[in-house]
Amino acid sequence: MSYLTPLRLHFAGKFQASPSTVNNNALHFNNATFQPSDQRREAGQTDGWWNPSGDALFRLAECKVTSAFRDGMPVSEDPVLTMRIADTDRKAPGKMADLDPEQQMVSEIWGLEVRICTDDGKNLLRGEYETTAFTELWARDIVDLSNPVGDSKFSAVYQTVLTNVEWFDTSSSPFLEELRKSTDDSELSIKFNVDGYDMTWGSPFFTYGRIVGTIGPQRKNEPKRFTLGRHLMPNLDGNGNPIGQIFFCPAVVDKRTARIIIDAGNALPTNGIGGPQLDIGNVWMAYRKGAQWQSVGEIDYLKPEWYSNTAGVVALPADRTLTRTELAEIADSPIALFAQSKGAPPPPQPAISEPENGQYVRADRFVFRLNPGEQAEVELWATQWGRPQPGAPVTLTADPSGLQAGTGWPNVAVPLDAISFPPTVTCDNAGRATFSIKASPPNNPRCYIDGQVYGVRPLPAGILSDYPVNPWDFVSLLVWDQFVPDDPITWYGSLQPIFQQYANLYPVMQRFLDLSSFDSICANLQILCLAFGLNMDNPNSMPVTRDLSASKRKAILKWLTTLDADGKPALGTPKPNGECPTAPSGDAGPATLSPQMIARGGKEAAMLRRKGAPNYGASTEAQ
Amino acid sequence: MIVLEDSLFHRLDGSIKGLRHAVQAAIELEHATIPPYLYALYSIKPGKNVEVAQIIRSVVREEMLHMTIACNLLNAIGGTPEIDSPGFLPKYPGPLPHSVQSGLVVTLAPVSIAQVKNVFAKIEEPEIPLDFPDIVLPPTTIGKFYRKISDTLKSGDFTGHPKQQVTAAWWPSDQLFPITDLVSARSAIEIIVEQGEGTTTSPTDQSLEFAHYYRFEEIIHKHRLIKNPHAGPSTPPNKRYIYRGVRIPLDRKGVQPLIVNPAVKGYPSGSAAAVANDAFNATYTALLHCLQSVFTVNPQQLATSIGIMESLKDQALAMSQIPLGTNLYAGPTFEYRKFN
Repeated sequence: MSYLTPLRLHFAGKFQASPSTVNNNALHFNNATFQPSDQRREAGQTDGWWNPSGDALFRLAECKVTSAFRDGMPVSEDPVLTMRIADTDRKAPGKMADLDPEQQMVSEIWGLEVRICTDDGKNLLRGEYETTAFTELWARDIVDLSNPVGDSKFSAVYQTVLTNVEWFDTSSSPFLEELRKSTDDSELSIKFNVDGYDMTWGSPFFTYGRIVGTIGPQRKNEPKRFTLGRHLMPNLDGNGNPIGQIFFCPAVVDKRTARIIIDAGNALPTNGIGGPQLDIGNVWMAYRKGAQWQSVGEIDYLKPEWYSNTAGVVALPADRTLTRTELAEIADSPIALFAQSKGAPPPPQPAISEPENGQYVRADRFVFRLNPGEQAEVELWATQWGRPQPGAPVTLTADPSGLQAGTGWPNVAVPLDAISFPPTVTCDNAGRATFSIKASPPNNPRCYIDGQVYGVRPLPAGILSDYPVNPWDFVSLLVWDQFVPDDPITWYGSLQPIFQQYANLYPVMQRFLDLSSFDSICANLQILCLAFGLNMDNPNSMPVTRDLSASKRKAILKWLTTLDADGKPALGTPKPNGECPTAPSGDAGPATLSPQMIARGGKEAAMLRRKGAPNYGASTEAQ
Repeated sequence: MIVLEDSLFHRLDGSIKGLRHAVQAAIELEHATIPPYLYALYSIKPGKNVEVAQIIRSVVREEMLHMTIACNLLNAIGGTPEIDSPGFLPKYPGPLPHSVQSGLVVTLAPVSIAQVKNVFAKIEEPEIPLDFPDIVLPPTTIGKFYRKISDTLKSGDFTGHPKQQVTAAWWPSDQLFPITDLVSARSAIEIIVEQGEGTTTSPTDQSLEFAHYYRFEEIIHKHRLIKNPHAGPSTPPNKRYIYRGVRIPLDRKGVQPLIVNPAVKGYPSGSAAAVANDAFNATYTALLHCLQSVFTVNPQQLATSIGIMESLKDQALAMSQIPLGTNLYAGPTFEYRKFN
């Protein structure tokens, strides 16, 4: 099931994401070289970039239901069509955080609550957004590619579930009543696309962007963060942009309504930042029948308000159902999208299609933070033509290609032996497998940044080197080091460097206290104990808490709660600054960053720091 | 000094209904003082005017305590606090809820000596300020109101469920404790009155902290209030303390010039200030919703409400950077908004 079903609603509006950007530069983690100017907004290459005082908020704003479907048919007159999609009405707003300065491409949303409510704020349902990261980021505004707009041209996808869904009185809405009956385990599937991000300081909607999304039922025993279905894969150029102008998109063949439901929400380029879809000519879906491609119908993506009304989800054919023969043919052959510009000859090849043999492997949860001795339990599915592939062998490869070490930044993914995992794993009868990635101490390879980041990529076994692979589909791990504080724990003996780094990287904390000051901390013990004691998924967990290893957090809490006779935690005595050896660095990504790009930072710079796509097939075969 | 409506006193006719009505009014009154104090705090730039900020913060913290005590009292006598509704939020500028219209107009303004003197100190002014022994006593002050509630309570009134009593380590246990009977109720009320007004013979409450009024007077006099070193047993109460302690400067450069009495209508639709203000109000409304739950369903959620307050501070300080004109910046309006 998932959101990509005949029963779903779409919504559109704005989102706010206000991350701090001082921590976008790995060098800013080095207390010894940190300068006050590193907290300045966009003043040069070594500054705090575009939002140094960002408070990590992630909010929904002005989001309204734009359409709903039951049994594949648009709903009219259901009160759900007048409702809002809102965030929390009872706790602090959600937060967004990067995993690491050298893996900024999996920014996760934490502690977000999502509601469906009436215009006067009456709740119909409320659920907790299970933390997940964006994926499939691309430069969608291809018209403005050369325009110095930084991250504004990007679009990305968030898919997860709402958990612990509370249903209120839904009796007025047949749609919501059906949704309520159709979903399992108090969960709902939610997916949204974010684009049109405004990163211009002083603009009314600075840190806001456009969001469109879909909510549908969630079934037990299905992945939460992707859809079991048909995955169309583009050919990418060196910058990760689709050569055929259409980006990754999933589809589901729904036998009951005899239609293919495709989510092109993050797939089609836009005309300008947050603009309407760019006219790339007729776009139609087809499946391969023998040596020919058989059309299933066109996507009317140029219709006004198409994007906000559908979130890019389309069921084809629009005007008929698929015949049994067609369904049988589609069951074992690739689905594709074609694009034909006005006046151009019919394209011989699709703009984007499923791989030749329809195989697909993906891990469900794909971001992990690990303390030494912990292990990530990674669950993955192998499918072929959208169906689980029983007994499918899957290879697992350490793959740092998606990580982002900049010039002069510490190397990533070394030492490799700090993570261990099996080279292969075999799926069960449901096409599902779980494997463990065990973490041991990386022994401080990055010196001033705790631990190390790694990537592990699962792929179908035996694929050829030219098999299309989604570069975004890998597991990101941050493995922390073991922190051993002095005994007894004192400010000078252990904690001052940690708090100093925190104060450097998160200027927003000055709104609350001066984290680099022992006295300021002593004056705020109660609130700090609360904040450091919260779970990571609590929206009030401070930004740095998600950067802190369990051992550091434990030491801080112990220190904050072990008070001397003066009612303060132990100060200790200053010790001379230890020399911090330079972290090994050097092999930055292949792309050349213009000074302008470096100055803007953000996802654009991070994207260009990646080492480029590896030769997936070859590395897989070498296992 | 806040002069309350006579009708509030008349409702205290000995009936449990009148008593609950009065305590609900007390909750509204306590809450209504919080936004003006927070607004002043939000105007102080991080790291500046530390002593002034500390004084206002200490008062607003106790106002939150008083609101909590009033909710505990209402629960103790079988009532239900009503917090999460548009009507709960007062209009600024305007009178405090249940006060006489001709009285004090409470404003949202950045911190200044004038604001502290003309609004804050007036809110907290005791029935008999020690500086002004000759004042003519109006019949209906906040202190009198609380004492009337205290006098009206009977031992049979305590029918509420003890599980709904909010206690938390955020305040000392001798200030926030379960109200279960006449004795605990009267002690709790006395804490509210004394922290707000002091006693008739001393500017301090029982824990020897200066009452709110005198803490604000410290800002006005620009000096800490200290014991008069020359006072003897025969010195009259109003001469036993003097504003001659450490200097408490209010540096105007350390104050962000926020707009006075902001209003939703004053922020053009789609402007940065309007966008930030809507988001703030949605969070403030979430706080009321959370507090409604704390005081009627689950006292354990108090920590969540404190988390929302921290987020409010963050949002307000971010908003205070949005320019509205020459040397004028945006501030939150504290209005009811059920979603962002």
